[in-house]
Amino acid sequence: MPSQSLLMRIRLEDVSHDYGRSEESAPVHVLTSVSIEIASGDFAVLMGASGSGKSTLLNLIGAVDRPSAGRVWLGESETSALDEASLTRIRRTSIGFIFQFFNLVPTLDVQENLAFPLALAGVSRAEIAARAADVLERIGLAHRATHYPNELSGGEMQRVAIGRAIIHRPPLILADEPTGNLDSKTGEQILDLIRDIHRSQRPTIVMATHSDRAASYGDYVIEVADGRVRGRSAARP
Amino acid sequence: MSEAGTRLVISALILRPIVRETIRTLLTILGIAVGVAVVVAIELSNQSALRAFGESVDAIAGRANYQIVSEAVPIPEDVLIRLQPLWRRGVRFAPIIDIEGVIEPDQTPIRLLGVDLLSDLHFRDYRYATVMTSATERPQSRADDEPANARMISTWLDLFRDDSIVVAASFAHEHRLALGSVLRIDVLGHERRMTIRGILEPRGPATAFNGSIAVADIAAAQTSFGLTGKLTRIDLLVPDASADELLREVRRVIPAGARVERPSQRNERVAKMLRAFRINLFALAGVALLVGMFLVYNTVLISILRRRRDVGIFKTLGVSPRQIFLAFLSEGLVFGLIGSAAGIALGDALASAILRLIGRTINSLYVTSSPEAIVLKPAIIALGATVGTLLSLVSAIQPSLEAARVRPIVLIQPGLHQRVGRKNNRALALASIACFAAGTLVSFIPPYRGIAVAGYVGVLFIVAGFSLPAPMIVTAVSHGLAPLLRRIFGVVGQLAPASLPASLRRTAVASAALSLATGMMVAVALMVGSFRETVRIWVDQTVGSDLWLRPSRGLTNAQIALFPESISADLAKVGFIAAFDRVRGKDIAYGESIIAVGSGDFPVTGGFGVLPMVKPRSAAAALARALAIDGVFISESFAIKFDKDVGDSVVLPTAHGMRGFPITGIYRDYSNDRGVVVMDRSLYIRSFEDHAINTVAIFLKPGVDPEWARVELEHRFGPSYHAFAITNRSIRREVMTIFDQTFLITYALLGVAIAVAVLGIVNTLAALILERARELALLRVLGLSAAELRRMLVLESSLLGLVSTAVGLVMGYVLSFELIYVINKQSFGWTIDFHTPAALIAISLAVTFLSASVAGFIPARLAARIDLASAIKAE
Repeated sequence: MPSQSLLMRIRLEDVSHDYGRSEESAPVHVLTSVSIEIASGDFAVLMGASGSGKSTLLNLIGAVDRPSAGRVWLGESETSALDEASLTRIRRTSIGFIFQFFNLVPTLDVQENLAFPLALAGVSRAEIAARAADVLERIGLAHRATHYPNELSGGEMQRVAIGRAIIHRPPLILADEPTGNLDSKTGEQILDLIRDIHRSQRPTIVMATHSDRAASYGDYVIEVADGRVRGRSAARP
Repeated sequence: MSEAGTRLVISALILRPIVRETIRTLLTILGIAVGVAVVVAIELSNQSALRAFGESVDAIAGRANYQIVSEAVPIPEDVLIRLQPLWRRGVRFAPIIDIEGVIEPDQTPIRLLGVDLLSDLHFRDYRYATVMTSATERPQSRADDEPANARMISTWLDLFRDDSIVVAASFAHEHRLALGSVLRIDVLGHERRMTIRGILEPRGPATAFNGSIAVADIAAAQTSFGLTGKLTRIDLLVPDASADELLREVRRVIPAGARVERPSQRNERVAKMLRAFRINLFALAGVALLVGMFLVYNTVLISILRRRRDVGIFKTLGVSPRQIFLAFLSEGLVFGLIGSAAGIALGDALASAILRLIGRTINSLYVTSSPEAIVLKPAIIALGATVGTLLSLVSAIQPSLEAARVRPIVLIQPGLHQRVGRKNNRALALASIACFAAGTLVSFIPPYRGIAVAGYVGVLFIVAGFSLPAPMIVTAVSHGLAPLLRRIFGVVGQLAPASLPASLRRTAVASAALSLATGMMVAVALMVGSFRETVRIWVDQTVGSDLWLRPSRGLTNAQIALFPESISADLAKVGFIAAFDRVRGKDIAYGESIIAVGSGDFPVTGGFGVLPMVKPRSAAAALARALAIDGVFISESFAIKFDKDVGDSVVLPTAHGMRGFPITGIYRDYSNDRGVVVMDRSLYIRSFEDHAINTVAIFLKPGVDPEWARVELEHRFGPSYHAFAITNRSIRREVMTIFDQTFLITYALLGVAIAVAVLGIVNTLAALILERARELALLRVLGLSAAELRRMLVLESSLLGLVSTAVGLVMGYVLSFELIYVINKQSFGWTIDFHTPAALIAISLAVTFLSASVAGFIPARLAARIDLASAIKAE
């Protein structure tokens, strides 16, 4: 496990993004001239209606996609200018992802899903086992270690996804509607877990949501509408 | 729901995806096309080879509706006088000499037809393109001073000269012959120089045997080729109204050993003789088709799994299970129709190559015939279309039913429902055991009309027995190898073996298809390898003489070119020869079959040669007994086909009527699968009045160098007898060359089956990539590099290749027992000893495994193109 500081400042400068640039169809502008800065260790919430552009923004921050125009920095790296291999390295070591639909690898059991980022990083088996046991304990799923994703409830799957996002201690955690597919009680438990992680490890967290309740867990809210950032406000408890 | 609704469902679920998923569509169509092409090509070339023979027989028979034939001995000419009283009652008859010969020095085979040129016009349609006039030959002497009709008569009279011959225009053109060209024709051991004095237009008999036919006056043919006073056949035109009664009269006057039959009966016998050979070819083509079926099954299944959600939504909206069933069935239909059309076109192109291969086999082993051009007839188009479409539809039924039955809620739930439950596993295992049991049981059923029907059914049971547990095998091997792969390949080695069992429904089918193709390849390699080794040992044993003297260079003309009896006296004078064995054989009708009757000098065979015996053990005692009681030996295939044993007797049509010969021995003979009866030369001559000789096996005195003796013999016998001396070693090599040529097509067909199966692997993995786009994108998002992803996919296909090849190897061994001990024995009537051609099997397994591994690169390229952002978007 490469040592890294849990510091990750995010900067987007005049970023625009289009989809569908084929000859037959006009491009759809998903993001237009977005500039934001998220300080290291912040818990930022991207809030907006469905289709507002939050997920695209998250993809650009997460080095999953490249902007059509503008620049994106993660820490000192300008990810919008990096090649695919470098982006892969950044995703592997510096980012933890949490998705609305959990996105666990269906062919791996809980323990293996958790261990996946560590296995990619070439961590020794003994350390993987120790850390996986630790994380399993933390997310409360020690008794489910050898179960496959299709044998888990939604809440349990999301816990595994969170475990997977933190096991390699990335400086940045991105969460896309992490409670969107859960009932309200389970959703709150998940949000509590994310807040605990933020408090104990201080990673930078960016969470996209359209729920006020979820937004209240962040330090502040960045409002997104029609592909533009409309402003920043303090989170309402 | 309305018809328009059904159309919409089919369009949404089937047609649009077919168009959009080009690679998958093309691979599936290619799979079916290749299977159909092989069937069409084999049928086309078979028909062409058989039709060539049949049409030649018809063309030569002309308008005759009956023939008096006698394979055993020529028919004496005086039969014509005895037939004379029937002329008044409307019976017409034409005496015929119909013999095969070769043109020296190139040994070009030719069929010589000796007819009564004047009366034969009743029977056959000759149209002369040109006839040589005496004027052309001797312009100065008679051309100008004779009246025109006298000149005409003298022209035609020239055709009756005993050195005149008429050839077909196509033959003349092909061999650059013209009127006046002189041919050296060697027939029945008699060589004559004949002058071409007429050229026939390509119609009637001139079209037979692709034009390799020459016509001469019957009297000239009789005197030239030692058949004075004899005929090989008499063609009859019998009025239909009183045919039964007239034929009774005809039968009363014909000699013993001759019989009256319709010309078509000879075609039927030849067709029957080739039946086992044709059916074997079809069985092999069937393998390619069976693999194609797996491909269609897999494709439709993949469509259903991929469109699971759409099916669920459609069902929720009220689409009936029947419509879902029809929609997916129509996918099979579309693939079947397009694949068949492509396959028919491809088969037409392939046929001429296959025809060359099987034509050679038919000529070497069965009958002389020059195959005709390939003609794609409606019946063959219908065969290809029916086979391709029906099999595609049948393959699509099961997965379509499955889609129709599933409840909508199951279909729209996220997650893959692919793991095969324990209950299913138990059912599959039981079904597999039942298949093996059934396969074993049917192997004991005897052949049906000479065809090993039960043997082929047994093969199907064995294939099913191995295919059913494919899901269990894939799972077990993946789990078993996981720790090792993880240690070697790290995280990639952890993911690959986990993903195969996870998409078991598709991977298991692809694996079963490849196992089947590999299994058949291994089985046939084992069978052919065993057969080859058996034949090699047999040839080593039987070809014991030092030299062979024969009147033709190649083995293929061996039946046509002959030595006259007089060569015996000349051979006896050669000082360095210790003994010689004169071999003669010919085909005769035996009931509804054609068998070979052969002869040799039994005392020499007993003293010098080795005859591999089946029963009794000692050849010498059995030969001595045969000499003592005028007995015969029969080949193993004859014994099995006609259920004969030592002590029984075999009744043959001889020159003196039907005669029984006691059987004193059964020997192994791989040169002929129709059955052979062998007797001592003196008994043969007494029975068939045939003094000719096909080959002389020569045993040299001790210390004589065979190569020196070979040159010496050719020097002494070459000019006078057209003799070629061949050493023991060359003869063995020649036999093995013919053997290898015969089985070339077998390997070619299996190669096709393997190719189709590898296409199946590519297809399955490509489809899996499309389906797993989200999962693969996720792996990439989580940090798996593009190279690691590629490695993972290639590892998956390699793992699939490994499982399939291993199962194929085991299946191949089991199938080879069925092929060698059931199908082969029932079809051809010979025993083969088991041998493993290790190198051949190792190479074919390596090729299969490597093809499967390489197949992983194609889906890996697809995976590299996945757009991460859109793939991980919500479902």
